[in-house]
Amino acid sequence: MDPSSLENPELVQFINQEKERAMLNEMVAKLTNVCWDKCITGTPGSKFSSSEQSCLSNCARRYLDMSVIIMKRFQNMH
Amino acid sequence: MDFSSPSSGSSSSSQFNADVFKDQLKNQLAQAYAEEFLETLRAKCFDKCITKPGSSLSGSEGSCISRCMDRYVEATGIISRALFSGPPQ
Repeated sequence: MDPSSLENPELVQFINQEKERAMLNEMVAKLTNVCWDKCITGTPGSKFSSSEQSCLSNCARRYLDMSVIIMKRFQNMH
Repeated sequence: MDFSSPSSGSSSSSQFNADVFKDQLKNQLAQAYAEEFLETLRAKCFDKCITKPGSSLSGSEGSCISRCMDRYVEATGIISRALFSGPPQ
C-alpha cells in the first residue's frame, strides 16, 4: 500500500467512519447477547411479550449506566 | 489483501486504488460481522431449542430454531433503537 494514501484526507475520514460504525455494531451485538440471556427466559415465541420488549430496552440502557459507574469507580481506585 | 486496481490496460496493476480499497474493507467488515452474528445465533438457539439432544432433530426443535432466529434479529433491533433513538430513560 502506498504510504502517501495515508495522507489522503478522504480515505482517513472513510476509515474513521468505518471504525466508528464497527464499534457501534459491536456494542449492539454485545448488549443483545447479554440482554437476551437476562430477558428471554422461556422458549422463544412467535412474538415478544411487552414485558420482554421493555426488559430488552431497559437492559441495554442500564448496561450503559453501569458502564459509567464502573468507569468512574475504577478511575478512583488508582 | 490486494488493494491494487483491477487490471485495466495501460495503468500499472500495482497502483493503489482507493475505491477498490474501500469496497474490500466494507466487504471484509460485513463478512466478519455476519460470521460473528451466525455464531451467536447458533449458540443462543442451541441453548434455547435443543435442550435434550435426541437421535434426530424434531419438528418442534426446528420451528423453535426459526422462531429463535427471528426473535434474536428482532432483539438486535430493539437494543439498537433503545441506544440510538428516542429519549434516554
